[in-house]
Amino acid sequence: MNKIPSDMDIAWCPGCGNYSILETFDKAIEQTGIDRKKLALVSGIGQAAKFPHYTKANVFNGLHGRALPAATGLKIANHELSVVITSGDGDMYGEGGNHFLHAIRRNIGVKVFVHDNQVYGLTKGQASPTSDLGFVTKVQTHGVVSVPVNPLAVAIVEDASFVARSFAGDKEHLLAMMVAALENQGGFTLLDILQPCISFNRTNTLKWYKDRVKKIDESHDPYNREAAIAMSLKWGDEIPIGIIYRSRRESFEAKTSMLAKGTLVSQYKGAAV
Amino acid sequence: MPERILMTGNEAMAEGAIRAGCRYYYGYPITPQNEVPEYMSRRMPEIGGTFIQSESELAAINMVLGSAATGKRAMTSSSSPGVSLKMEGISYIAGQQLPAVIANVQRGGPGLGDIGASQADYFQATKGGGHGDYRLIVLAPASVQEMADLATLAFDLADRYRNPVMILADAQIGQMMEPLVWKDYTPPADLPAKDWALTGAKGRAKNIIRSFFLYPGLLEKHNIALQEKYRLIREREVRFEETNVEDADLVIIAYGSPARVAKGLVKRGLDNAKIGLMRPITLYPFPDKRIRELALAGKDFLVVELSAGQMVEDVRLAVEGASKVGFYGRLGGAMVTIDEMAQKAKDMLKSRRASK
Repeated sequence: MNKIPSDMDIAWCPGCGNYSILETFDKAIEQTGIDRKKLALVSGIGQAAKFPHYTKANVFNGLHGRALPAATGLKIANHELSVVITSGDGDMYGEGGNHFLHAIRRNIGVKVFVHDNQVYGLTKGQASPTSDLGFVTKVQTHGVVSVPVNPLAVAIVEDASFVARSFAGDKEHLLAMMVAALENQGGFTLLDILQPCISFNRTNTLKWYKDRVKKIDESHDPYNREAAIAMSLKWGDEIPIGIIYRSRRESFEAKTSMLAKGTLVSQYKGAAV
Repeated sequence: MPERILMTGNEAMAEGAIRAGCRYYYGYPITPQNEVPEYMSRRMPEIGGTFIQSESELAAINMVLGSAATGKRAMTSSSSPGVSLKMEGISYIAGQQLPAVIANVQRGGPGLGDIGASQADYFQATKGGGHGDYRLIVLAPASVQEMADLATLAFDLADRYRNPVMILADAQIGQMMEPLVWKDYTPPADLPAKDWALTGAKGRAKNIIRSFFLYPGLLEKHNIALQEKYRLIREREVRFEETNVEDADLVIIAYGSPARVAKGLVKRGLDNAKIGLMRPITLYPFPDKRIRELALAGKDFLVVELSAGQMVEDVRLAVEGASKVGFYGRLGGAMVTIDEMAQKAKDMLKSRRASK
């Protein structure tokens, strides 16, 4: 019998790093005890942006690069929700790059999980903002000539609340990072997840990442901004994974007096505004 | 016999642009036009041109604006959602009277839509999707050969009128492969000199390129000049192709992919009924005078589009009630079929006989 495909049917390549991110995410929700009725997943366009369709939560799947503004509006309207963005390196750091900068400045309390595979997957293999110098694709035939975006360093410079990196090939570490990110009570929370793309990135493979990722030593103080910056600049033979930076800066919601009286949706319940 | 080359429509358009002297291409990935940046990225370095994969569609259209302002032949391409993002830049390019080429390999909409062929961006392209009273010259290729030929023509028209030109293709024409023949290209000798270009003002008065006219009255003057230019374009640049039209009772009007299906129907015939095809090649300027002539000659029209009915409004404006205008369209990335088209044509011919 021919089954009509639905948006809920997983449309990722077999062997994609997204599967372990999805599996680990469900575990992290279970572990943190977050009520899925109070969980909102927001995404833009890309392979990672399909993620919200494949688990149970409130879902808003919007425009390419625009997950952050949509999530900002959602969080302001109902700040009791856990708002998690599932995005990719192209969606968040390319098309949505400007929003990324300004959402961090605002310190809006959303969790941003970036599936960072250093390549465009949905459009089949162009270089992304995090592709390494010299990375060859069918479009960057002579290799990437622009230096990659360093999202972690950018987030630390703009004083984000929580900045961490993990790796889809280490589910235990990923679970710990997701739980820490979900439990972070401050503002803007960034978790950059290194993820192999088995179809379009033959350079940064599972082995490539495995050979390089190194858990951050417990002696690292994430509240030390200068040490965090230095840590975020490490890339190459050794790639640090773990919580790199934390800030005690107030979140946008905490600073906004209107929200002290409760969520806007509860304050305006039934009102035609 | 000239050599026939097998290419996709998207690649043919890219090569056509390069042969027209385009050396500046900027784009952002989106299906179904990724073959254009792929081709450009390979070819541009070979011929001393520049390819940049931009960080967004907005960046790409503004890079085109910058290169065009220096008088160089520059281009970007995208597909429907990405073209919507470019609209701000397109309005500025039109207001600044810069020659530039923008290709839209249309997919189903609105919003993210799908990746099937569509013609639902007709209004956006021909009526001005951005703000202000401006017009694009809009070319509608219906074959791989035309993807190449019209890409080349687009640059000549852009330079002649200092106006942005849009190539309004669709996923089907962009993705399919067909043989094409390359023609030798030399720019028309009568193209105006680009004495307006920003080339460094050494030894001459400065050039200013702008769309901002704050002093009272200036902006209206500027707009009147633009309208005069559009009038000239409407007078001189209408292009269309006709098949069996003179003898026809019913003329199908279609462009792009559906025009190919319609041509198939006209060639196959319809129970000895007299049907013909008029295929606009320029959507702006629209062949309204010719359609009016045909209406006054007593012909009815069946407009076929991959939309809910957009070009059909221009046909009705041209016909002004002088004869019957029917419509057949498919939506959201679906393709018209020859049988459905035949049925619509039969219905129209039947009611025509009944009313005579």
